[in-house]
Amino acid sequence: MQGGSSGIGYGLKYQARCISDVRADTDHTSFLTGTLSLKEENEVHLIRLSSGGTELVCEGLFSHPNEIWDLASCPFDQRIFSTVYSTGESYGAAIWQIPELYGELNSPQLEKITSLGAHVGKIKCILWWPCGRHDKLISIDEENLFLWSLDMPKKAIQVQLQESAGLHNLSGGAWDPHDVNALAATSESSIQFWDLRTMMKTNLIERSHVRNVDYNPKKPHVIVTAEDESGICIWDIRKSKAPVQELPGHTHWTWAVRCNPEHEGLILSSGTDSTVNLWLASPFSRDELTSETLVDSPTRQPDPLLNSYSDYEDSVYGLAWSSREPWIFASLSYDGRRQRLDNVKLGYVSLEIALSWHSISIGCRSAFAFAEGRSDKSRFWVPVVLAIIHGHVITNKDFTSKIWRFSVLTYVHE
Amino acid sequence: MEVDDVPLDDKAKRMRDLLSSFYAPDPSASAPSFPATHASLDAINSASFDPDQYMNLLVQKSSLEGLLQRHVEMAAEIKNLDTDLQMLVYENYNKFISATDTIKRMKSKIVGMETNMEQLLDKIMSVQSRSDHVNTSLFEKREHVEKLHRTCNLLRKVQFIYDLPARLGKCIKSEAYADAVRFYTGAMPIFKAYGDSSFQDCKRASEEAIAIITKNLQGKLFSDSESIQARAEAAVLLKQLDFPVDSLRAKLLEKLEQSLVDLQLNVEDISSASVDSSDPSEQRNASMPIPSNAHEASVREFAEAICAYRVIFPDSDEQLTQLARDLVSKLFETTEQYVKNRISSADLLHVLGIIWTDVLLMDGVVHEAVLRDHCLEAARMVVKQYVANTFSHLLHDISDALTKAHIEQKDGVEKDSLQVALEASKKRVLQGSMDVLLDFRQLLDDNLELLAKIKDWIIDWVQGGFQDFFRELDNHFILLSGRNNSSSHDQVLAGLVLVLAQLSLFIEQTAIPRITEEIAASFSGGGIRGSEYGPAFVPGEICRIFRSAGEKFLHLYINIRTQRVSVLLKKRFTVLNWVKHKEPREVHMFVDLFLHELEAIGNEVKQILPQGVRRHRRTDSNGSTTSSRSNPLREEKLNRSNTQRARSQLLETHLAKLFKQKVEIFTKVEFNQESVVTMVVKLCLKSLQEFVRLQTFNRSGFQQIQLDIQFLRTPLRETVEDEAAIDFLLDEVIVAASERCLDPIPLEPPILDKLIQAKLAKTNEQNTISQ
Repeated sequence: MQGGSSGIGYGLKYQARCISDVRADTDHTSFLTGTLSLKEENEVHLIRLSSGGTELVCEGLFSHPNEIWDLASCPFDQRIFSTVYSTGESYGAAIWQIPELYGELNSPQLEKITSLGAHVGKIKCILWWPCGRHDKLISIDEENLFLWSLDMPKKAIQVQLQESAGLHNLSGGAWDPHDVNALAATSESSIQFWDLRTMMKTNLIERSHVRNVDYNPKKPHVIVTAEDESGICIWDIRKSKAPVQELPGHTHWTWAVRCNPEHEGLILSSGTDSTVNLWLASPFSRDELTSETLVDSPTRQPDPLLNSYSDYEDSVYGLAWSSREPWIFASLSYDGRRQRLDNVKLGYVSLEIALSWHSISIGCRSAFAFAEGRSDKSRFWVPVVLAIIHGHVITNKDFTSKIWRFSVLTYVHE
Repeated sequence: MEVDDVPLDDKAKRMRDLLSSFYAPDPSASAPSFPATHASLDAINSASFDPDQYMNLLVQKSSLEGLLQRHVEMAAEIKNLDTDLQMLVYENYNKFISATDTIKRMKSKIVGMETNMEQLLDKIMSVQSRSDHVNTSLFEKREHVEKLHRTCNLLRKVQFIYDLPARLGKCIKSEAYADAVRFYTGAMPIFKAYGDSSFQDCKRASEEAIAIITKNLQGKLFSDSESIQARAEAAVLLKQLDFPVDSLRAKLLEKLEQSLVDLQLNVEDISSASVDSSDPSEQRNASMPIPSNAHEASVREFAEAICAYRVIFPDSDEQLTQLARDLVSKLFETTEQYVKNRISSADLLHVLGIIWTDVLLMDGVVHEAVLRDHCLEAARMVVKQYVANTFSHLLHDISDALTKAHIEQKDGVEKDSLQVALEASKKRVLQGSMDVLLDFRQLLDDNLELLAKIKDWIIDWVQGGFQDFFRELDNHFILLSGRNNSSSHDQVLAGLVLVLAQLSLFIEQTAIPRITEEIAASFSGGGIRGSEYGPAFVPGEICRIFRSAGEKFLHLYINIRTQRVSVLLKKRFTVLNWVKHKEPREVHMFVDLFLHELEAIGNEVKQILPQGVRRHRRTDSNGSTTSSRSNPLREEKLNRSNTQRARSQLLETHLAKLFKQKVEIFTKVEFNQESVVTMVVKLCLKSLQEFVRLQTFNRSGFQQIQLDIQFLRTPLRETVEDEAAIDFLLDEVIVAASERCLDPIPLEPPILDKLIQAKLAKTNEQNTISQ
């Protein structure tokens, strides 16, 4: 498996479930991760990709009082993050600040800004305002949704709005980056859409066993869900009857799904079958797809599964794209017992997959070959896309758009 | 002789030349003068003969003897020439004398002819005068005779007019309408000129008579009993009478159309008859010919009527063509309706045969309609529809077979209902396809000209039909399995999905090859669509579709089954507060439910899927060594498990084990019982592990999990194929639980044993009670 072998590893001492990209850190590619250990002392690791890009360096190691079930980095301040933790019997959530001179201290302590105390039930996750500097936060527990207003200088936080989700236990959610008043929350039997101004449910997709949800950052109204049975589903929330596309790929539960922050259609999913799958979802809607298949039924659709990274020892629960270098992602395997191995893995969208489309309706033969180019300076595996087109004139609209889609993957890394 | 001849000829020729030169007007022209230098002995005959020179030459050249001889010769020659000359002069003189005599005689005979000529002239003059006299004397009488003759004619005509009504009446009586019409039309000009005055009565009377005639003629025209000639004559007569024939024609046409509708009904009778008769097949042969004969007769009648009409109104091809086309279209419309019912190709053939005979009949009558082409076109549509319908019926059958089983299963009456359903639907697929092919074979084999012409089309349709049919079937399967509508998964019976999986496999591996073979045998060719498209039936593609469908369904089945267990597990883990769990007293009942589910799966699977190659027998021996090695190991460890050290050692063993081998948990599922069950068990255990990982346990909670898992170990090992993986997963669950436990102290093995034995005893007891 190319992605695994070319990926970089980092070992946490204990089992861990959550990893988060530090979006506010524009100078480095860094991730925050927190361990999940019931009995030992838990840690928060600040991991940074070394300037050479060859290894993951622990930039900061902070002890955390409890096992961490969820961790989210603040989008505007790289030193601030939130955690959801469990004491074994009860749950809590807090916002932390990394001390400024942590490099010089021997055992730096995290500075607790405030804790989100209004929760009673099992807290599931904390969501930061999706982009830019804003004081709004959302926290979700099994029964309630909270909208918080964070007052940073005063280090205080207030519940702005609270709403009970009803009968079905919530399990997580995602904040719409296109419409900051919209929120998608997953529950046992459905995906609920909330309007944060009124705290009312606006829409509902009946779908059971949804584990995770993510908005497509490039295209409004499109969400991706991870499910127990059929891998990931892509939905247009305006058409809630059936998914636009289903991408079954994991043999067991699909735990997490993440859309690439830059490149539309590039989706990562991780599952309890110890694999991470990289997908390229077709940008076409279902109607266009069917019309295309009608025109050209014998030729197969290109496999949307670009790569399957299966070099994990245990279930992969944590998954994060780097927003600074969007062809890098971090995956976090639960594998805590095998300390000499790395549970944090950096994968690259290393596309050595050769796709070939035979004659899209005009008899034009084309082959796309993805080659990995290796830059000596950075020793990065950089995907270089070579589009070799045999044939004549490309008149087909779809075809050109496909070429376009692949051309966005072309990076020349100096 | 020849020696004599030549000199004789020479001689005669010279003679003649000499004579001619003698008579010639210009002797110099015939004998050009020779110059003296050219003088020779031969020049004696030429005009420029010079005697002196000749002499000199002769003297010089010849000897004396020669000269003497020459002298004798010349003397003889001169003598001869003199006699000839004398003869010629004498002959000329004789002729001159006889000519003078003749002229003298003519002169004497011409005298006295003048008087005879004058006498003749006198006589001719007298004859002329006499003839003129006779002519003038007869002229008057001749004038009179001519006048009398004219009057007589007129009188006869008047007489005819006066007699006309009576004569017409007589004609009517004797039905000599043709004469009547001839008389009447003859009288027409007179009636037109004098009808208002002198012949008023006459005209009225004859008009009345003619009205009767017209009526009779119309009657005759419309009566079917009359012969065609008679009717045609009537039409012609009516036309002569200036009767508005167009309206008549329209009426007749209407009548024909009326009969067309009647014919239509007949066709329906036939189809209904054949439908009726198709049920009791013995009656069929007896009952079929009657309606068909009746139909044929009526069509023949109709054809005759059209023929008659054509004779009567010769310039009405267009309407007739239309009519004939209407007939064919209507026939095919009925057939189309008929085809919509479920009919065998024999019935279709029968109907088509009838129609074709009709068409041939009609075609004989109306050439212009190009009925054959029209019919061909229509037949093509019908046959195409028939092919399509047959396939849709087949699809319906198969789906019926599946859903019926579905319902039966719901009732829970039959235990082997899945197997029954599978067998039934297998049979339907194969037998149905074969029947369909046989049916179409019949179409092809029939030597009906109509079908022979569209044979290639039929082949293409059949091939394309199969292609579409299987695609449709695949879609239908997916619809049945409810994949498109995920929310209804729970309603879809897992068994049905399993049946679909196996059925897809069957179609791919057995049905398609058979059908391909059959098609190759009897439906090769075609190619109307053009060779660039290739054959319409692409078995490879269908196989591919069904292979992937089969796998999909199998996975779906596993998914559905796993989902149920998953729900069970979810309830088990989320409802309870594991941190405050009480001490384990017995194996939890979710284990029973789980095993029950597994049993149900086993039941379903046993009915549908084949038994796999018992591969795990081999691994069994291997597995038993490993498990027998690992089990005492663990128990040994468990014996010392009260201490913290032992606990960590337990973990270490697991770690050691993990390092040894990475067990491939999720292998490819195969189409056999063990593989599917194993897969379900694996997925369930993995789910169990994941659920455990999401909880936090106190000691009792952990012990409960340990107990449950320990209990599961034996029955699971019995059911599955891959013991090593199952063992691994079971251990994983315990490890996960211990990791999530605040105080992971395992149960003592004796207690564990005791509880398990108690549980086993209890289940046995229950079993005996229920039995």
